[in-house]
Amino acid sequence: MIQALFIALSAFGLLMALGTVFARNLVNAALFLVAFFFVVACQFVLLEAEFMAAIQVLIYIGAVAVLLMFGIMLTRNIQGDETTIVSRQWRLLGIGVAGSVLIVLFLGINGFKPWTDLGIRPEFPVTAETTTERGQAIIAMTPTVGREMMTRYVVPFELAGLLLTAALVGAVVLAQYDNTDEKTASAEPPQVS
Amino acid sequence: MAHFDLLTKNDFTPILAQRMFYEQVDTVLWIRWGLYLFAGFFAVFPLIVAYIVLAERKIAARFQDRIGPNRVGPFGLLQPFADFIKLIIKESIVPKGANSFVHILAPILTLISAFLVLAVIPFGIGLAPVDLPSGLLYMVSVSSIAALSIFLAGWSSRNKYSLLGAMRGVAQLVSYEIPQVMSILPVILWSGSLSLVSIVQTQQYDQGWFLFSPPGILGFLLLLISSIAEVNRAPFDLPEAESEIIAGFHTEYSGMRFGLFFLGEYLNVFAICCLSTTLFLGGGSLPLQGYFADEADHMLVAPFDASKQSVLKLNAHHEFPENPSTGFRINITNIVGETQAFQVSHRVGNDLVLMANRPVEFKADAYSRVSAAARPSYAAPWHLSNLIMIPVFLGKVFFLVFVIFWIRATLPRVRVDRLMSFAWKTMVPLAIANIFVATIWFEMVIRPVGGFSARLLAWLVTGLLTAGAVALVFRINRNSYQANDPERRPTLISRSGDSLLAATTRGL
Amino acid sequence: MVYNYIFIGLLLLVATAFAAGPLVLVALLAPKRKSKNKNEFYECGVITVGESWVRFRMQYYLYAILFVLFDIETVFLYPWAVSYGGLGFFALVEMVIFIVMLLIGLAYAWARGALRWQ
Repeated sequence: MIQALFIALSAFGLLMALGTVFARNLVNAALFLVAFFFVVACQFVLLEAEFMAAIQVLIYIGAVAVLLMFGIMLTRNIQGDETTIVSRQWRLLGIGVAGSVLIVLFLGINGFKPWTDLGIRPEFPVTAETTTERGQAIIAMTPTVGREMMTRYVVPFELAGLLLTAALVGAVVLAQYDNTDEKTASAEPPQVS
Repeated sequence: MAHFDLLTKNDFTPILAQRMFYEQVDTVLWIRWGLYLFAGFFAVFPLIVAYIVLAERKIAARFQDRIGPNRVGPFGLLQPFADFIKLIIKESIVPKGANSFVHILAPILTLISAFLVLAVIPFGIGLAPVDLPSGLLYMVSVSSIAALSIFLAGWSSRNKYSLLGAMRGVAQLVSYEIPQVMSILPVILWSGSLSLVSIVQTQQYDQGWFLFSPPGILGFLLLLISSIAEVNRAPFDLPEAESEIIAGFHTEYSGMRFGLFFLGEYLNVFAICCLSTTLFLGGGSLPLQGYFADEADHMLVAPFDASKQSVLKLNAHHEFPENPSTGFRINITNIVGETQAFQVSHRVGNDLVLMANRPVEFKADAYSRVSAAARPSYAAPWHLSNLIMIPVFLGKVFFLVFVIFWIRATLPRVRVDRLMSFAWKTMVPLAIANIFVATIWFEMVIRPVGGFSARLLAWLVTGLLTAGAVALVFRINRNSYQANDPERRPTLISRSGDSLLAATTRGL
Repeated sequence: MVYNYIFIGLLLLVATAFAAGPLVLVALLAPKRKSKNKNEFYECGVITVGESWVRFRMQYYLYAILFVLFDIETVFLYPWAVSYGGLGFFALVEMVIFIVMLLIGLAYAWARGALRWQ
């Protein structure tokens, strides 16, 4: 049953991804992308990683999609009247590159072996012996993530904090720069606040 | 290719169990879920919300010295049905060129977000529709979808003022989301679990209401204020203000579409009151219940070293629940007399498997005492306990709803720049400081399973720290309240900014 | 556990149906008299001038970026808070370092006036 659910969800997700690429209107494309993020969250749930699913919804749909919408508002191309027109040879090259990436991913995930052993999953019985670290990681993911983050992966964690601070400072610097630029720009439609 | 060989070996990482996933969903569970869905979510909650709308109109009317609607039925009690019929027979007008699908999608997203939040809340013992191990994180992530729906509402109307209202609304929601999620952190710290059932049980049997501590009070206030801002309620209702910007992001919504937005907003109010009650007021438990909890004693059968093992072998199990809620708490006392609190992940026969966040520097010999703080719910039959718990829970929720109405009737609307600076400059630093004060409370009271004197000392210390943090934050923001605001500058100060003394004594 | 998400999926579907239900009722019951003026945008009776997009200010974008960054910080804070009971003092120190770094970023944004809404 999980297999059927997975196939249905993946098909829906692929449709949403295709919608993102082919939509004319930018905001429609962003909405398809939001639906795709949601499908990814559902896939995380199917993989029993509900912590990841919640974070996917929180960060991607709650924050990144909002940022994307604001970015779309920056452009004037909201209604999608000026879609880019790609010439024929670039289109062929794009399809070629995408196809080769697909083949590489396909083979690489399977370990360069033929497509066998689908739908067979190792059993995970819940007994007193399954209290290994990994077992606990699945039953109670969040405290395990916290503990690993504080003990084994401290340095990447602090580096992530440094990266976030750098992003913040960078955003402030860029925005201030643009702000002073706009004040001296020529007449735009009146700046409504 | 050595990496791929590792993946196929069986002893590396157990991935999934098909048996664990859907074989646990048996007929009883389907019936239970069906009842929750069709008797609870889509019958009881809309009724509650409809009467909350009526209650708001009557309470706001009483605050303004008049009576609310009282024509339709006795005391106006049939008013929600009249409103519903009115909204349905109105024509549904969509502005030309608007994207009709997105126009309908926006209120549906708000409603979905509110319903999903209510899915995790424990309304009584055994009455949480689902008990997710990461319930609180799920709830936070679901409530963040609302920002997107406001933007879609404003954008799809193709109206300049709608769009403006929508962008402001999204900016407000986004700014107040951070204090909301950060103010919940003390609760998570103290209960050690993200599951709401476990949080309620911790308050009910182990630690008392989380409100009864200085960081708890501050956290509760921060949660309440930022939740009110999250649902666009007064005094934070700038995006939908009726006297400015026409009606903000739902200008172009009329008839039932507007009704859906309205329903979603009040459902959200109900949901955040339920959330605040569950997290800080120990939803369903009486105020002093946590301090007088009974304990059941058992004995360890084998020695236990927390750094190496995670399974406790006990001599009897009949008093512990079969499927404990995630993270239910036990205390182990070893021969030396140290007591340490642990959380149970699940139970297998006579063995209790502890959760991964257990304290690891603890050793207990065989025959040490194990006591469960979360015992009494399984001693009394759950349906009798629920007869008390459900009314208590609803009482607390409705009291909070009344407080929200009261705030709306009393306070004027906050100006947009004050709104933003309040979020980023006052509430975020306070929420972060609150986390640290909560850590101090945890170290003083909860980790050493402290008694009355430890609690008193901790009240003093954390009370001073909390008051100091609040004073510091307000002092830092002092300049932005007075000096920069030209409307508040007293007229006796001259333009060059002399002090009041100099201005009055000029020329003497 | 994870099977609970089946209920949440059901809730999603039924909530969508519940929200769409009154709209279906409206489509059946409400009058549909189209007229040109009804579908114009509402601007207190004045006819719309210019396209309806808004030249928005950098402030919105800055708030969104700040929100993303603090959201990610919260995502790091949640597992720390859950697992704090089993860890010692070093966990507190590490988290203090992390939060202080982000507070420095916030203080910088504050001092540069990026948090001001003009």
